[in-house]
Amino acid sequence: MPSAAAWLGTTAFPFHPMARHPLLKDWFLIRRDLPQVRALFLTLVSFLLPVGIWCIFSYVPWIWHPDVKIEISAERDGITTVFTAGDRVSEAFFPEFVAAVRKDNAKVIAARQTGTAETGAKRKNQKLLRQLAPVAINHHWLPHTEAQNDAVIYGIWRDIATGTKISKHPKLSPENLEIIRENWQRFSEKSTEFSFSKLPDEPLLKLIPQGKPSNPVYLPAPDEVIRTGFRDFTASVPDGELTMGERYKRSIHVIFMGFLCACIVGIPIGILCGVFDFFSKLFEPFVDFFRYMPAPTFSTLLVAILLAGDAPKIALVFIGTVFQMILVVSKTTRMLDSSLLEAAQTLGAKPRQMVTHVVIPGILPNLYNDLRILLGWAWTWLVIAELIGVKSGLTEFIETQGRFRNFDRVYPIIILIGLTGFVTDQVLSWLHGIFFPWAGKSGPLTSNLRQKIGRSLTTITNKNHRQAEPTP
Amino acid sequence: MTAPLTLPDYREKSPEVAARLKRLVQRPVALEVAGLSKTFESTRGTVTALDNVSFSVHKRELMCVIGPSGCGKSTLVRILAGLENPTSGEVRVNGSSVSGPGPDRGMVFQGYTLFPWQTVKQNVMFGPRMAGKSTYSAESEAREWIALVGLSKFENAYPHQLSGGMKQRVAIARALANQPRVLFMDEPFGALDSQTRCQMQSYLLDIWKNVDITIVFITHDLDEAVFLSDRILVLDANPGRIREIVEVPVPRPRSEAQWFDPTFIATRKHIDHMMHPPGQPQKDAPVLRLAMPDPDVV
Repeated sequence: MPSAAAWLGTTAFPFHPMARHPLLKDWFLIRRDLPQVRALFLTLVSFLLPVGIWCIFSYVPWIWHPDVKIEISAERDGITTVFTAGDRVSEAFFPEFVAAVRKDNAKVIAARQTGTAETGAKRKNQKLLRQLAPVAINHHWLPHTEAQNDAVIYGIWRDIATGTKISKHPKLSPENLEIIRENWQRFSEKSTEFSFSKLPDEPLLKLIPQGKPSNPVYLPAPDEVIRTGFRDFTASVPDGELTMGERYKRSIHVIFMGFLCACIVGIPIGILCGVFDFFSKLFEPFVDFFRYMPAPTFSTLLVAILLAGDAPKIALVFIGTVFQMILVVSKTTRMLDSSLLEAAQTLGAKPRQMVTHVVIPGILPNLYNDLRILLGWAWTWLVIAELIGVKSGLTEFIETQGRFRNFDRVYPIIILIGLTGFVTDQVLSWLHGIFFPWAGKSGPLTSNLRQKIGRSLTTITNKNHRQAEPTP
Repeated sequence: MTAPLTLPDYREKSPEVAARLKRLVQRPVALEVAGLSKTFESTRGTVTALDNVSFSVHKRELMCVIGPSGCGKSTLVRILAGLENPTSGEVRVNGSSVSGPGPDRGMVFQGYTLFPWQTVKQNVMFGPRMAGKSTYSAESEAREWIALVGLSKFENAYPHQLSGGMKQRVAIARALANQPRVLFMDEPFGALDSQTRCQMQSYLLDIWKNVDITIVFITHDLDEAVFLSDRILVLDANPGRIREIVEVPVPRPRSEAQWFDPTFIATRKHIDHMMHPPGQPQKDAPVLRLAMPDPDVV
């Protein structure tokens, strides 16, 4: 087992009290690469840092938390707005809400004492019964689809009142426990099992709203995001709706087709512009003008021309990408070392051969990197493209859930898009070293693998070669 | 060996050398340059890079072109290779006038200019393949040329894996594989360290000995010019004119020991005086701060 010092790329010298520990040394060297393990460590930290900040804001109560997330809710008389468990209200409003419910309860008690209690409160009492449903669901005493299964909830009132079940999250306030016992007494006087007709007639006491400090709805905690994300990706959906995997596939299809079309058009024109001044002067001024017209401004036009479906979306990604691509590719082509072209000329290459044998192979590695960057832009256009015409793909989900303020369901999709782009780019950059071994800029991991692949390729080609060569 | 106190006149040649040079100029002319001029238009007016340059190079001659920087050596060789057009004048290869680059004239650049995406072998195959030869014959030809420059072990290496000297040897093999009549070399060893440069000079002489090729070699290094060439074309700067064509009295075969021959030193000194006339102040003499007397520095 190597020591931590060895892992972080330094040799552990006998520790001297005045000298800095080797682990602390050599982190800040001007224009010098860090050893691989340290670089890897920092890469990890670069991801952990934002996640850590997110966690601190989400889980440390005194950092921010301007809202209260309601865990037990109640209805107030004469107020139409109903807060259910999971809703957020501002910190300032919550005490007001609690006070209002207490006032309602005081009225009920006063009415009881004066003997003027209303009757006919069965419906109200049934609603009151369901106040414990969120608590039951939290503890998996009740599946989340059965929030109105009164028979089970009735049993839960009994269990909590008698102390057989104890609610841990949220922990019920003593006030609420008292109310539960009191209410259960009145329930059980009528019946020990649920039956609507046997619910008490006079109004019962409401549970006092309980809540915990929380962040606004637009900043859900990491665990909520992970949980809803997992649920959304694995849940079965009603017929006619797309699963998340299908949405994802559709999004990928749009971006891939759009980008492919852009490549088919953009790369040849870009290369021609870079090689021949004729094409450069013929195409580039207009392209330069056109790329300043934002692609989304064409959205309605594209839908009118190409109708519904994926065609206008693909066209939007195409328009957004192709003009940039022409300019970027022509610039890359111009950057090719002109002395290579001169050398080819002195070796007897004709103009056409210079394009096919010198320009194209010469610019390929840079062209490949350009395409990687352009693919990143294409993702931006994809999100806009999916909003035009009939909304589709991942963006439609984001849009719909965002309107319902279900931001915990939006974040996983945003992260998914980011991850897809990031992973694609990393894989492509890794493949760069395999496609272009002569470019000679790849990490040690790549060069090792490249050698292995290269060796196997040579053996294969050698075998073929030997078979192809006629034996004398 | 100690240098004699008085150097011989550089024009004095041993009978063998005189006879060899006489035979040399009787050979057919491989490259003829007639009245070549080149002017550039710039914002500060017209600049004459080359002014009425005429000379001829004979078959299998190795001629060096030397001159102070800015004398138009590179312009001259680029015009000869067809990469630039002269303002006036003519270039003839084996009697026929040429314009534009062509496979009859090979070129080796200072910057190697190997195609980085091709292996050594593919680089050398480039010319024959452009000429429409089959991959198989181009490959076997390329192998021969690579063997000639001694890089058979590296035929599948990429240029970025080679040292500067090796790259330049590949560039030479690549130019020769095209079987040109004349090979132009534009300060090919200028970017190499002095040790490698010496090795490369010997390599070049070896190759030249074995291959039917006429070489025009551009350099600014006096030793290199004297060591390699039969005749040295000395150019003047501003405007670029021929100052003198010096016949090198050093006998062949050349070896590094000849660097201390009186004839070698005399020739070198003569050209040096032509390029940097003694008594003239150095144009850009470095300004140094005066130092206090130091007993350790005498």
